[in-house]
Amino acid sequence: MSVVSNTSYFIRTALGSMWRSPFVHIIAIASLALALVGYGVARLASDQLEALIRSLGSDVEFTVYLADDAAADQVEVLRAALESRTHGVATVVTPAQALGRLSQQLGDDGRALTELNDNPLPSSLELKLPPEGRDPVLLKALATQTRGVAFVTGVDYGEEALERLSMIAKALRWVGLLVFALVFMTAVIIVSATLQLAIFSRREEIEIQKLVGGTDRFVRMPFLIEGVLQGVLAAGFAIASVYGLVRYLESDSGTAIAFLRLNGHFAVDWAHLGAEQLGLGLALGLLGSFVAVRRFLRV
Amino acid sequence: MIQMFHVTKSYPGDPPTLVDINLDIGKAEFVFLTGPSGAGKSTLLKLMFLAERPTRGQILIAGRNIARLRESGVPYLRRNIGVVFQDFKLLPNRTVAENVGFTLDVIGTDRDEVRERSLKMLRRVGLEHKADVSPLKLSGGEQQRVSLCRALVNDPAILLADEPTGNLDPALTVEMMDLLNDVNARGTTVVVATHDSSLIGRYQKRTLRLEKGTVVADEKGAKAALLMALES
Repeated sequence: MSVVSNTSYFIRTALGSMWRSPFVHIIAIASLALALVGYGVARLASDQLEALIRSLGSDVEFTVYLADDAAADQVEVLRAALESRTHGVATVVTPAQALGRLSQQLGDDGRALTELNDNPLPSSLELKLPPEGRDPVLLKALATQTRGVAFVTGVDYGEEALERLSMIAKALRWVGLLVFALVFMTAVIIVSATLQLAIFSRREEIEIQKLVGGTDRFVRMPFLIEGVLQGVLAAGFAIASVYGLVRYLESDSGTAIAFLRLNGHFAVDWAHLGAEQLGLGLALGLLGSFVAVRRFLRV
Repeated sequence: MIQMFHVTKSYPGDPPTLVDINLDIGKAEFVFLTGPSGAGKSTLLKLMFLAERPTRGQILIAGRNIARLRESGVPYLRRNIGVVFQDFKLLPNRTVAENVGFTLDVIGTDRDEVRERSLKMLRRVGLEHKADVSPLKLSGGEQQRVSLCRALVNDPAILLADEPTGNLDPALTVEMMDLLNDVNARGTTVVVATHDSSLIGRYQKRTLRLEKGTVVADEKGAKAALLMALES
């Protein structure tokens, strides 16, 4: 028995079969590609959704109002503690800075503020939170603790809005996951059914190979090579399709669904998405062939 | 070469196809297996090339007890057994030469050698000129000869043939039988299932007669021929 002869036979048989019955293989590749496009689109949508959720929460600010007599060193301790607890960035805003900011926000009406004899605004600590620090439960606990500090007169972080936003984000993530699971399961069912159909048409060949002394491995190899080739072709097609879709959405003709985009373009890691689609294509092709051919090996 | 001890084969819900079969076919022996349709000839052949396993009893093929043979060992045993199927089992989407070479492909024979040996085999049955056509373009008799070529190209120790002359005219029948005799003369054990009594009468070989799943007669030479002549 020669390994070289066998390998060359497996490859010749796989290519020969694809050449002889192109229709069945085109159907198999199309269904695989469809599954992979589904995966790519679902992945893209979930990334965009994630970005949307992050951008919605980017204005969340945790403001701690300080008593007039708060000592600078104590304020510094509190500032450092807030930063280390939330991984955010806390800055001290003096009453003068606060007044200046308010005056700027009010525009022309802000001039009235200069007439004030005393600055009524307290000094404060403003904490900008990173996305992972926007958990409403944690922030509520942090607010309660901070309110307990002697020189803190109040804490404000848009509690209600944040809670609602967090709920929406959670619901959106679940919906995304559900849609993804449905697309993926449908793909697996379609792919394995198609491959079974493709292999069913060759059950006679499998039977004869087995009857003349072919081992299971020998019978299976060409089918596995076909599965790999189908997976690679389908992945190439799927990557091109998703790329084309993204370019279309980014173009002017795609403005009808412009609300899906953020900052005018999709942030897509093509190398990563391509590798995932290729890997998934290979896995689906191989697994599909393996499972499908197994049914016909009992001769 | 082929031994069976108290072999019974039954399928769920049906009466047994074979009942308590005992037989011993020696090396380089030529045996006709005969009997009416449904007597169990094909099933007996299937047991010999391990397409079926016995419900009860022991089978030894080339000294190996198939009950002790693991599933992974079956292909290696089958490589010593050539089979000519009643329905030929040729692949329509392969050429005649490719169909013949199938048996050599599975054992990893070099591509050029596969081609060379397949053509040589086809030459023996006078079909070399049809090497590169589809089996669909062949007559029934030609397909049967291609099926025989596939069974023999690997020089098996045992050749099993299910009605190998069923589709042949008298002249081709003689040609096919000469081929089988020739193979047998070279040391291959040949088992031929047939209900063609004239064949048995003419060739006077050992004949096993099956009826309702049991061996009712096991005769040799002229006696077998006489038996067949009386029954037909």
